[in-house]
This record gives sequence, structure tokens and C-alpha cells, in this order.
Amino acid sequence: MELRPDGSLLVHAALSMSRVSENELSPEAAEITRLVRLTLGGDSTAFEPIIRRYETRVMTIAARLLGTRDDTCDVAQEVFLRAFKYLHRLDLQKPLEPWLIRITVNVCRDIGRRRQRQRNTFVEIEMPETIDESADHHAGLARKQERLILQRALDSLPEKERLAILLRDVEGLSTAEVASILQSSETTVRSQVSRGRLRLKSAIDSAMGGRS
Amino acid sequence: MSCAFPKEMLALHVEGDLSAARQEMTLSHLATCEDCSGFLEQLRARQTLLKSLRQETVAPSECLGMRREVMSIISKRLDTPGWIVRIERALMIAIRRPSYAVAAFGLLGVVSVSVLAQMRNITPDVKQSAAVFVEGGDTLLRPQGYRDWILVGEATKPHSSGSDEGTARAAPTPTGRVYINPSGYREYAKTGRFPEGTLMVWDSDNREHQAGDGPHGESPVLLASVKDSTRFEGGWGFFDFTGVDRSMTAKAQALPESSGCRTCHRRDAETDHVFTQFYPVLQTARRASQLAPQDTLSLLEVLDLSRPSRVQRPTLVAHI
Repeated sequence: MELRPDGSLLVHAALSMSRVSENELSPEAAEITRLVRLTLGGDSTAFEPIIRRYETRVMTIAARLLGTRDDTCDVAQEVFLRAFKYLHRLDLQKPLEPWLIRITVNVCRDIGRRRQRQRNTFVEIEMPETIDESADHHAGLARKQERLILQRALDSLPEKERLAILLRDVEGLSTAEVASILQSSETTVRSQVSRGRLRLKSAIDSAMGGRS
Repeated sequence: MSCAFPKEMLALHVEGDLSAARQEMTLSHLATCEDCSGFLEQLRARQTLLKSLRQETVAPSECLGMRREVMSIISKRLDTPGWIVRIERALMIAIRRPSYAVAAFGLLGVVSVSVLAQMRNITPDVKQSAAVFVEGGDTLLRPQGYRDWILVGEATKPHSSGSDEGTARAAPTPTGRVYINPSGYREYAKTGRFPEGTLMVWDSDNREHQAGDGPHGESPVLLASVKDSTRFEGGWGFFDFTGVDRSMTAKAQALPESSGCRTCHRRDAETDHVFTQFYPVLQTARRASQLAPQDTLSLLEVLDLSRPSRVQRPTLVAHI
């Protein structure tokens, strides 16, 4: 775990891109490895628990990257079918999730090329239960407005910066993971993230009229 | 904000993305710069807003249909991988290391290239089998690689005299082998006619000097004839590459009319200045061209016909 400047904790264990021996795998990672081996051995039913474990993550990322809820299921379906097809390429000494996210990014890029992508970063994703707008109507309106501003600010970013920001700051992946997923260098990702954060702040500041 | 401290550093510092040294430098600066501290606070607020999106996720219930669909496709094997993926999978599962699999593919590629290169090497070089003229067009460069061409006959004994066979009346004819370039042979086998560019070589087996007054005179080493109607009267040019002390010259001028070559070949040769009557290989090819459809004679058949039989070696007069 890592203590960040904003006081939040970043859990690296599950997402770590570094090689680990099988003996050092967490119980969950060991179970995923076992399921992958079973699937590769011909037991296709072993793939269903793998889907169940990562489907929410894949669909959420797809929704954010694509900007539309309509295609999210199609993207996730394609991601898992590709994963099943190319499961033998997975290095079992590395975690499965970054590999799935990379496929998700690639599928979204493919879809984005096929159709003119709607630059709606925010979608009608299910709101968390902790938010109760009825308790404070004004606070609810303010939150909606903030989200709208944030949406437009994100949409104004160049594509590569937007992708780097979404993976690094929204998905919480490390710079190394983002670089691996985007098949880029850490230096490049850091540069994209840095510029993206500044642009984002500038766009939000303009929309809010200097309010913090 | 007037401070010139790089804002990019602050944008990385806000999420702990700086190296230890730069982090320390940034913290030192922030301790003394109110502008940058304020800017950093605003950045933190925007980052907090941005990260609030993490709470928004797709409902698990929305995934159910997708999961069922994927499993349905997999179970029905609608997503059966192609043969390339199957080979790749077999290799990678067996070896369990992508790097080894890549090495295996690399090795396969090297072997394939080597095999192809070998195949190229055993294929007669068409370029080498073409006549190359220099110095005004009547000088022929000595043909290269002609021993890989089609062997049409061998001469191992003196030819019998007799006007009916149309041969010269001379005694010992030097032993030698007669070759024809592959393109000339193929066309002859197809049509029964020698095409323009046909190149025939008479190569002596006997490296010792041997006096003689036969059609090829004083023990030549290497003779050639080329069909080129644009250069030679009667369509054929004749060349002698025999040099001093029976060495081979690199090039040879077309022999003059006085050499008698053209006269003899025109008068006595059965087919267009070529003594096909002495070469079973050419006779067989001609019969095949008359019997079979022209385009059904494959190169393999042609090459088979060209190989001399070990059982019955032709013992013929060396004439080209």
C-alpha cells in the first residue's frame, strides 16, 4: 500500500505489474491462475468465474472510454471472447486484470475507429447508494453541475491525455500499468498525465469562473 | 500566478508521481511559495472531483446478459480459433513462454528461408542461359552454367560417313556433350521449333589435343550456336571459344561463312540448323509436341526427358 499526498491509500497488490512467483500469489490470484489453467486445458466452463470476477470492471472502463452505454455490453463481450481466444498469450506470472484492461482499450479503439466516437465521457452509470440527492436538493444540483463541467473538461482533452487521465486518475492504475496498457513509456505517460491535469484544471476553472 | 516554478511538476506532485529527488525539491519550493501552494490546493480539489468518478460503476445485474452470451458462444464453439491461433496456442501452451514461442517461429522462418534458398539454387538460372553479345553485337560472351542446362546428347565415337546421314566425311570427331538452354528446349518441346534466343553448347570431354579434319576441325574445346535472326544470316550464329593451348576464351566472335559451319548445318541438319536427327532427347520432345496439347507438357516432364539414361547412353556424333 502507498500513502498518497491527498491522504488516500493506493492498494497495489492486485494490480501489480511486477512478476511474482506462484508461491507468492494471493489466494484470489492463485484461484484465477487455476481457472486460467483449467480453461487452457479445455474446460471452457472455468472461464465463467473469470468473467464474473472482472465483468463489472471491464464494462465500467468501457463505458467511460466509449462514452456511451449502448455499446458497453458489446465491448465487454468482445473483450472476453478475445481473452478466451488468446488466453494462451497471458503470462501467468502477471495479473490478469491489466491484460483485460489493455484488451478493453484496444476494443474501444477499434469501435471508436468504426464510428465517430461520441465524446461523452460520463454516462448514465448507476449512482452509488451513498448519494442521496433528496437530502439536500441544492447539494444535488451543485453535484450535477460539477459533473457536467467535469464531463466537458474531460471531453476537451486530446485523446491520448484523456485516456492517460482516465486510466491513471479515474481507474487508479499506476503509471507503469498505464504505460504497459497503452504500450507506451512511463515518461510519455507522465507527460500526458501532467499536461492533462493542468488542462483539466484550466477547463474546470474557466467553467466555474474561478471558484475552487 | 507569477511564480515560474514548473506547473507540470506540481501536476505530478499532486498524485505522488515525481521521483524522490524532484519531490523533495518541490516540497522545498512549496514551503516558501504561497502561489504554488495555492495552485496545488486547487489541483487537489480538481483531482478529488475527478476521482469521485470511481464510485460510479456499472451494476453487476447489467453484466449477466453479456456473460451468458459469451459463455453461449464459447460453449457452441462459435468462436473457434483459426489454424494460426491453434498452432500458436499449441506452441505456447507446450512451451509456456512467449519468448520461446517467438524463437520457435523465428527458427521456423529461418528453416523456410533456407529451404527456399536451396530450391532457388537448384533451379537453372534463366539469366545465365541467355546469350550475351558484346562489342558491336557479333561477339558472344562464353555461356555460364551450361552444364546445368538440358543435355541433349553425347558423342563418344567417330560418326559414320555417308551422305544419307548428311554428316561430314571425316574421321575422328572429338568426344563431347551437347547442351541446350532450358528456355529454348521448353519452346522446342512445345512447338517443335527453336525460338529466337536458343543457345546450344558443344563441350569437349577431351582436353588433349587431337588432330582431326572433321566438321569441328582441330579439337575444339567449346563451341556454341545461337539463334538470333536479327544478327545472323540464316538465323544462326556459330562461335568457337577455343583459345591458345586449348584454353577457353571468355568471348568469341561469330565464325565467318568461310568456316563452313553455317553451310554444313543448313544443308545437313534436320531441324533449323540443328542436328536433331542425332539426339533422341530432341526427337522425343518433338514427338511429344506433336502428340500432346502444347501446354500440357510440364517442366518436370521436360527435365525428366533431359536426363540421360544410364542403361542406354547415346553414342552419337557431336554436332550442334
